[in-house]
Amino acid sequence: MRVVAGRGVDQMTSTAMRPAAPSGPVPEAPVPTPPPETTPSGLAGLLELPATAVRGVIRSARTTPGLLTVIAVGLVVLTLVTGLVGTIMVQQKSSTTEDLIGHREPLAAAAQEIYRSLSDADATAAIAFLITGTEPPELRSRYDQDIARAGAALSRAASDVSSDAAAKVNVINQQLPVYTGLVETARANNRLGYPVGASYLQEASNLMHATILPAAGDLYQIDTAGLESQQSDAWGFPWFAAVLLVGTLAALIATQVYLTRRTNRLLNVGLVVATGAMVLMLLWGSVALVVQAILVGNGQDDGSHPVDVLVRARAAAVQARGDETMTLVARGAGGDYEVDFQKLAPQFTGLLSEAKGLVTGDAANQLQTAIDNANNWLTTHKDLRAKDDGGWYVDAVKEAVDTSVPNSAATSFANVDTALGNAINDGRQSFVDYTDDGAKALTLLAPGVAALAVVAAGGVTIGIRDRLREYR
Amino acid sequence: MIRRSSLGTLLAAVALLAVGCGSVRTPVDPAPVHDVREPAPASVGGADTSGGGSSSPDCDTRSLSPSSGISAGSTMATIKQRGRLVVGVDQTTYLFGFLNPATGEFEGFDIDIVKQIASALFGDWHNHVQFKAIPSSARESMLSSGQVDVVVRTYSITCDRLKKVNFSSVYYQAGQRVLVEKNSGFTGLNDLRGKKVCAAKASTSLKTLSQSPMRPVPVSVNNWSDCLVMLQQGQVDAVSTDDVILAGMARQDPNLEVVGDRFTQENYGVGIPKGHEDMVRYVNYVLDNVRNGSAWRESYNTWLLSQLGPASPPPVSYQS
Repeated sequence: MRVVAGRGVDQMTSTAMRPAAPSGPVPEAPVPTPPPETTPSGLAGLLELPATAVRGVIRSARTTPGLLTVIAVGLVVLTLVTGLVGTIMVQQKSSTTEDLIGHREPLAAAAQEIYRSLSDADATAAIAFLITGTEPPELRSRYDQDIARAGAALSRAASDVSSDAAAKVNVINQQLPVYTGLVETARANNRLGYPVGASYLQEASNLMHATILPAAGDLYQIDTAGLESQQSDAWGFPWFAAVLLVGTLAALIATQVYLTRRTNRLLNVGLVVATGAMVLMLLWGSVALVVQAILVGNGQDDGSHPVDVLVRARAAAVQARGDETMTLVARGAGGDYEVDFQKLAPQFTGLLSEAKGLVTGDAANQLQTAIDNANNWLTTHKDLRAKDDGGWYVDAVKEAVDTSVPNSAATSFANVDTALGNAINDGRQSFVDYTDDGAKALTLLAPGVAALAVVAAGGVTIGIRDRLREYR
Repeated sequence: MIRRSSLGTLLAAVALLAVGCGSVRTPVDPAPVHDVREPAPASVGGADTSGGGSSSPDCDTRSLSPSSGISAGSTMATIKQRGRLVVGVDQTTYLFGFLNPATGEFEGFDIDIVKQIASALFGDWHNHVQFKAIPSSARESMLSSGQVDVVVRTYSITCDRLKKVNFSSVYYQAGQRVLVEKNSGFTGLNDLRGKKVCAAKASTSLKTLSQSPMRPVPVSVNNWSDCLVMLQQGQVDAVSTDDVILAGMARQDPNLEVVGDRFTQENYGVGIPKGHEDMVRYVNYVLDNVRNGSAWRESYNTWLLSQLGPASPPPVSYQS
């Protein structure tokens, strides 16, 4: 690049100098020597080129027209480079922002869907075991739905090529068929009336909790961190492009000041046009990028961040629900599950109240529904634990799994889960809306920057050529 | 043409040189799977000798003489006042103590014993029994912490356990044998040198396995049913415990069979907390009626006859 520019300068200088030729005789002395310098062939000659070019530029810059030419070429290169860097930067920002909606956020959403679906599948399988006789069709279909959703979300999550995420997806992909196989074996034995079915179910649940869910949790964290870091990329300040642009503007203004002093003419139209183009680029770019950054930021504050809090609340709730049912399945030996429930309960109520300060509008209503139902659930849980511990196992199970009872744990939990699902969808919609608007703020900016840079380069060329003509 | 072909030769030579210098590249492995392990039941362990020793009587394992009296302030009076008997049972041992998935009720030989005790206390066992499904390893702790009144769960009377809990008289005599796949060629514990053999944690069977001169590799799990899962999945070569438990497993899978002779004798008794000697005497009174009346045979015929053949109640003697 520099070699080409240098050579260009050299050529332009020599053509410009020919008519004027007032330069001192002393530098002319070494002229006879260059011919052997340019002729050496091969590597040596190639290496000599930049040095020769630099020497040529320095030599010609000692004259005013030479200096003007150097300035012109410098400004043209500077504006074009600024235009190029700016265009690439805007293009990148634009695609980063688009990518947030099209790729990054769906990955995080897929990861949370995997986690929720699998936890729910596990809890549902346990409930089906609590219900005597044939498994109710609605539970069967809920389990099927969960497994299908998890599978679909997994194939989306698999599109993340980062090795961390791929390793987690790999674990889940390998173990999920094993899990479903165990659950079906448990079902088959259960239908035959063999108690080994319960052991298969517990083995399945153990696989879920010891291997699959931790991997799904890690995957969610990786994808959420990826989303956040890409959001900061999207609103990050483009230092390089900004410094370059301000520097180009400063150089243009300095050139005009120099020319005004040197030629006593106030304005050079070409340079004024060039300056105008760069100022327009600065204003348009700043406004568009500030708006974009604010909108992407809103997308995080009102979208992905509350969604993250809601997702964690929902995950804790569904796990607690699993503990609640497993306590009953274990029938007397489920102390550890209850301990876990008591750990999770404050966790999700805490996250729900944290989310309260983050969401507005319909999502806030949904959240309130979730909070009310969570409170009902916790009350019912206390009651059903008292019943189970007091020896009223059948009543406790009824209170835990019967969806036809208005305030049963099953009903309250289902309401919490649905309301949180709706609130999460609202949050995701806000994220998409804001981020999409952010991407739109950059519309036409990339070609605009390129066009303005070309205009500026043209202005510089014309403006300085006018001055150079005066030396003829 | 000549120039082109010579250029081609040169390029090929350069390419070959590059291949020679660079590391050898291999196709990407499309399925990098390194170890495929069967899923395991929760908390699988290894050898363990905490299982309360064998039944070899280096102490007096006889129980206290029976008594039917329920005096005020006695353990039985407290239970009656509460309105229900809290019992630690098994929900996974087919035929002895298991949860019938079709009815949601506990059933089996052990459960029949529980019903007899509850019926004696309350007149009718319905709504007067609270079942707690407990793992083998929790039997002593559930009793000593008072979380259950009695444990009726294939509970062998041993000297080590007698230091921590009381036992009733013997209500069933079992013996340790081996459960294997039908065409495995194993005919008993003697064929299982270095093989993986499953048993429940803190069971006498596990201790016997750990101390066997055949040196099988013990694998321990929470519940007996977990052993059946591992045997069906090919994770262990055999299950070894009391023949009644094995019979229940064989009933659930026609590809399995119980082989070899009994190499221990296990005397099942009802576990009762230390200090509740009045309860021991009362349970012994109930068990006397069970053994001497028709109840024992009826229960045996219902659950075990088809698997184990005819049998009679064990003989009983009490401490003088």
